[in-house]
Amino acid sequence: MKKLLVGLSVLFVLFLTACSGTESASGTTEDGKTEIIFWHAMGGELEASVNDIVDNYNNSQDKYTVKPVYQGSYEESLTKLKTVAGTEDAPAVTQIFEAGTKQMIDSGNVQPVQKFIDEENYDTSQWEENISSYYQVDSEQYSMPFNSSTPVLVYNKDAFEKAGLDPENAPRTYSELKDAAEKLTIKEGDQTSQYGLSILNYGWFFEELLATQGGMYVDNENGRDGEATKAAFNDEKGQRVFELISDMHEAGTFYNVGQTWDDMRAAFQSKTITMMLDSSAGVKGLVDNADFEVGVAYLPHPDGVDPQGVVIGGASLWMAKDINEKQEQASWDFMKYLSTPEVQAKWHVESGYFAINPAAYEEDIVKQEWEKYPQLKVTVDQLHDTVSSPATQGALISIFPEARQQIVTGMESLYQGADPKEALDKAAAEVDTVLEKGSRSR
Amino acid sequence: MNAARELQPVQTEEQQPRKSRFAFLEGWLYLLPSIILFSVFVFYPMFRTIYLSFFLADQIGPFEFAGLENYHYILRSDSFQSSIKATVLFVLFTVPATIILALFLALLTSEKIMGIGIFRTFFSSTMGMSVAASSVIWMFMYNPSIGVFSKIAEWLGLPVIQWLQNPDYALLAVSLSTIWMSTGFAYLILLGGLQNIDPHLYENARVAGVSYFYQLRRITLPMLSPTLFFIITVSFINAFQTFGQIDILTKGGPVESTNVIVYSIYKDAFINNDVGSASAQAVILFFCVLVLTVLQFKLGEKKVHYR
Repeated sequence: MKKLLVGLSVLFVLFLTACSGTESASGTTEDGKTEIIFWHAMGGELEASVNDIVDNYNNSQDKYTVKPVYQGSYEESLTKLKTVAGTEDAPAVTQIFEAGTKQMIDSGNVQPVQKFIDEENYDTSQWEENISSYYQVDSEQYSMPFNSSTPVLVYNKDAFEKAGLDPENAPRTYSELKDAAEKLTIKEGDQTSQYGLSILNYGWFFEELLATQGGMYVDNENGRDGEATKAAFNDEKGQRVFELISDMHEAGTFYNVGQTWDDMRAAFQSKTITMMLDSSAGVKGLVDNADFEVGVAYLPHPDGVDPQGVVIGGASLWMAKDINEKQEQASWDFMKYLSTPEVQAKWHVESGYFAINPAAYEEDIVKQEWEKYPQLKVTVDQLHDTVSSPATQGALISIFPEARQQIVTGMESLYQGADPKEALDKAAAEVDTVLEKGSRSR
Repeated sequence: MNAARELQPVQTEEQQPRKSRFAFLEGWLYLLPSIILFSVFVFYPMFRTIYLSFFLADQIGPFEFAGLENYHYILRSDSFQSSIKATVLFVLFTVPATIILALFLALLTSEKIMGIGIFRTFFSSTMGMSVAASSVIWMFMYNPSIGVFSKIAEWLGLPVIQWLQNPDYALLAVSLSTIWMSTGFAYLILLGGLQNIDPHLYENARVAGVSYFYQLRRITLPMLSPTLFFIITVSFINAFQTFGQIDILTKGGPVESTNVIVYSIYKDAFINNDVGSASAQAVILFFCVLVLTVLQFKLGEKKVHYR
């Protein structure tokens, strides 16, 4: 018995030392290579793809080693980063989603990649301008764009044909959208077996529908001219979006799918809904899984409004501040590798995210893929047609997560018959309070 | 309790102060591991939470003293009021139903019959499922387009309900899955309690020829009351602290109808980066649970029959 206890104690001590002795996040390996840690939020098949790309990088040169670590969803990995940022355990390179941009800059634990761009006159014009401009603040490139997506209208072509609509001509304006949804809705008695449209209760879609009208989310030019102090999304442009949802829901042509992406996609696959807004990164999976023809079109806009295009979604790569020079070089080298046309082509094909380097679209694997999935090209065209402005650059605020929750609550109250203007004003008032509170933080 | 009883005679031995002091220290030594663990994982976080609730704070730490501002803000906000409503409703929906169901199943299976082990395993098996895994299963079942509930409703010609998307049903749906998840544990505890009742009491009852319900009311329930009291208290506390199924099934939505206090705390602390407000809510929740538990002990324990 005593021996057992002693054995257990020894094990316990070993365990403790093992815990404290975890290697520091970034260091030098035995063979003299510089090692950096790369945190990302790409799960499932995307993780395999990221690991593959990192392996290729590690084998392509013999100075640096990159260790990829999956840290859960965007929100989770941002939360984890906040707890280790500025310490030894912080990763050298982290992937952060678009809405976390302001939080990262404010944290003071990152350094702009502009420094390295200037040092070696790296040519950023090879990047997709609409993507890189999102991560530019005060004309400084803060982070390296990596994976980007935009919202698109996805529809069931077979259902369009059955309803007597032209499957090659998807609705562009709100009135066309309402008409199409009316024709696509099938009612049997008081039961509806097929609905026209769904929009996920997710703040991002509202932001996009607002931006395509040239609408601002917050004041001070979307927070890019100075600290945002008030919500601006409750003007007539924002109201049009809420009215669209409210009208269509009342007409029985809009189906509420809740907050879960997979639920929305399941409703589309099972033909409960015939049109929906989805991320361009989900298009390939939808085409693969549907037993009908899937069409992809631009994001709809209100009648009489000149569409401005879309705000990019997705994520970019950030470099930590307190790392040594070798690690800085390793991080920069790795980032540059990721934006080469070959890597971006592979990434685009495997993930459905945009290539941040348009030269990738000239690569053979992309051309082959586009022949197989012409829908992917629509998503890229939409991005190219975007007019770069503060509206389509997106809002720069640190309280994005909370603002999105308020918008979602507003959207949900529409299904309970709330007045669109009141619902939107209520969300705006909440966001104002949070902005005010946020301005007092460090 | 036992430890205290054993220590008492040592303290009364006044003639040997040295030995008594040694025993006192020895007692502390035995308690030390749990004191250290409790201090690190319970007491320190608790006091830190109370401290932070008086500050504007983010995840790195406090940055501005705010006095009672966090409390003012919370108590005035509609969102916190709907959180309280959701929490109270959730507790009312889940706790009585779980205990009655578990008690019913335990009574059914407390007899020693051939093959009863199979049923006991069935009824307690939900205890072995993680909250996350079972929530995902329920999420699929509730799915209005492909879920089993809507298929059954369609087949029966009933209207399809969007369980998790409709604010009128969402809390009910989450409660239903919670009852299913927590019944296993309550069942197991209650079954153990039933097994502990002296069989002679039932023999006497049989000789006296009393009805089953008389026996249930006069023997089973009184003898089971310590176990029942335990499981009621624990279920209440668990229901107040429910998090996993809400995070997976509804994320506090739709229209904040399932935004129970614990979920609201999580959202403020880890998504909205407003640790001050989250701490204040945690403190309020702590006092609610404290008051409720004290009340339970004051009122409920009188009815408990300890042998």
